Amino acid sequence: MASFEGKRPLPLWLRSGRVQTGLVIIFILGICAIFAPYLAPNDPNEQNLLAILTPPAWADGGDPMFPLGTDSLGRCVLSRLIFGARVALTVAFTASVGAMLIGAFFAHVAGYFGGWIDWLIGRVVEIWLSFPPVILSLILMVGLGTGLRNVVLAIILVDWTRFCRVLRSEVIVLRRRDYVSAAQLVGFSHWRTVTREILPGTLPLLITLMSLEMGVAVIVEAILSFVGMSVSSETAAWGQMIADARQNIYEAPFNLIAPIGAIFFAVFGFNILGDGLRRTLDTRLTQTERT
Amino acid sequence: MRMFATIAKLLVKRVLTAIPILLVVSALLFCILRVLPVDPAAMSLPPNATVQEVEAMRKEMGLDRPIYEQYGIWLGKLLQGDIGRSIHFRQDVTSLIGTTLPATVELAVIAMMVATVFGLAGGLFLFYVRGTRAEAVMDFVSILLLSLPEFLWSLFLLLIFGVFFEVLPFTGRLSPGFERPVVTGFLLLDSLITGNISTFFNALEHMILPCLALGIALSPSLMRVLRSSLLDVYQDDYIQQARLRGLSEKRILVRHGLKNAILPTLSLMGVQFGFLFGGTLLVEIIYSYPGMGNLMVDAIRNADLPIIQGAGLTYCIAVLVISIAVDSLYLILNPKLRAR
Repeated sequence: MASFEGKRPLPLWLRSGRVQTGLVIIFILGICAIFAPYLAPNDPNEQNLLAILTPPAWADGGDPMFPLGTDSLGRCVLSRLIFGARVALTVAFTASVGAMLIGAFFAHVAGYFGGWIDWLIGRVVEIWLSFPPVILSLILMVGLGTGLRNVVLAIILVDWTRFCRVLRSEVIVLRRRDYVSAAQLVGFSHWRTVTREILPGTLPLLITLMSLEMGVAVIVEAILSFVGMSVSSETAAWGQMIADARQNIYEAPFNLIAPIGAIFFAVFGFNILGDGLRRTLDTRLTQTERT
Repeated sequence: MRMFATIAKLLVKRVLTAIPILLVVSALLFCILRVLPVDPAAMSLPPNATVQEVEAMRKEMGLDRPIYEQYGIWLGKLLQGDIGRSIHFRQDVTSLIGTTLPATVELAVIAMMVATVFGLAGGLFLFYVRGTRAEAVMDFVSILLLSLPEFLWSLFLLLIFGVFFEVLPFTGRLSPGFERPVVTGFLLLDSLITGNISTFFNALEHMILPCLALGIALSPSLMRVLRSSLLDVYQDDYIQQARLRGLSEKRILVRHGLKNAILPTLSLMGVQFGFLFGGTLLVEIIYSYPGMGNLMVDAIRNADLPIIQGAGLTYCIAVLVISIAVDSLYLILNPKLRAR
């Protein structure tokens, strides 16, 4: 172990078991998504009408060619599960980055300038909140039309308020700090004050929220593809697998368990990462709460 | 008396702010759905209609006028309770919503009760085990639970209790053979009014799984807020003082701890219950429950604009009503706000 002694210890946030668990889960999903064509035993869209609704390989009547069985069109469940990670992760990353950028921008503008700008942004957020998120995203999907790009857009348009609401109050606290007034006195521009003095303070919260938002995005995508308002039917998505399995719940209950497990695994990964980050990055938490 | 005056003031204020919100929401709904590449005029006519007929229909529906004028006409009708006719069901949207809304409200209300019971019990338990090893385990479990949305809970409960053990029904509101009494539109209420006890229990049986799914999914966040606000409250001097006065821990918890800690939990509930109302949509689809969620998704699949607009607006009103109701409750329970 001598060789480790000279190394710097891991940063605090990386030493948290929760953060590590979350990162491992996301890493596994990422590997599945990136190397899907190599990992999947079969073509996820290949229909095998002679072998529909086969049970998993370990059950009676299972076929080792289809480790997790097949769906109602004879497509390999495991392969669809692996390819489904692509849609889930693409949506999770792009939608949460988009929602974060828009939400954080308005939060900083509202919190920093205050006055009528703050009032206006506050009212817009209030209008957004009067819509249940599921309903709003469905209506947006009706307006935008289906497809991966529009799913991402709908989630961004619905969820930017999550960032805006929480970050705004953080900005208001930070704006009153002496070092912000000092920066203004020295003659920093508004842009420079916000990016150099306030943003570093809101960053921990922002990162935490983003991690949680990725979990939300995975769920919303699953919901939209469950009701058939997400990617086209040729693309494997976990929500679609659920919708298909729902039709054959008695014949092949396992087909339902597999995508539910996958969604849960992904959302849990993002949530536990977010929780770990919150505990280690939030400077205002007490020491007892952190451990 | 003073309390009623304050609450009345709050109600008036909240209703007045709700009006502009609803106006903007209705305008948004109108615009989002007007950019759709479907022609409402052509859709409301039989497919063999001539071009002239479609043109005449467009004129009659006001589609040839500028969009703000169209919105004005639509809003004017809306205020008279006329949201238009469903293109697909060939029925007035108001009557369609009128028959499905009570079902959704029943579902949401019972689910809220379930969520409240689980949330409070779980929060108290989390608080009770504070500082022990069980806390770390429970804390972890609550993150696990947070990762299962109502959508997955519904499927999960359906699999366990409906398919594997076959102990509970999971489609619709009543088993075949049961007559549906209609008085108020609320099935549970109606079966009680007409004295149909067996219908009442059958309907209740059908609601167990959907309500559990919604309630359980919502409770972890309530648990966590209740626990952390109880932890906050217990830092205050008056708890220590109560201990010095020799009060029992139970009395301290109920009279001093919970009474103060319930407030932050309550304000979270306002937002969460609004979300829960939206969550009914998926639960309804999964359990084939004939509420507004199923109506909405049918309408979306058929591009039935009047229903989408009407149901969207109804969801919005429901969220505002819930949030106003919870705020009033907050005021009743919080003497500090009342005094002002």
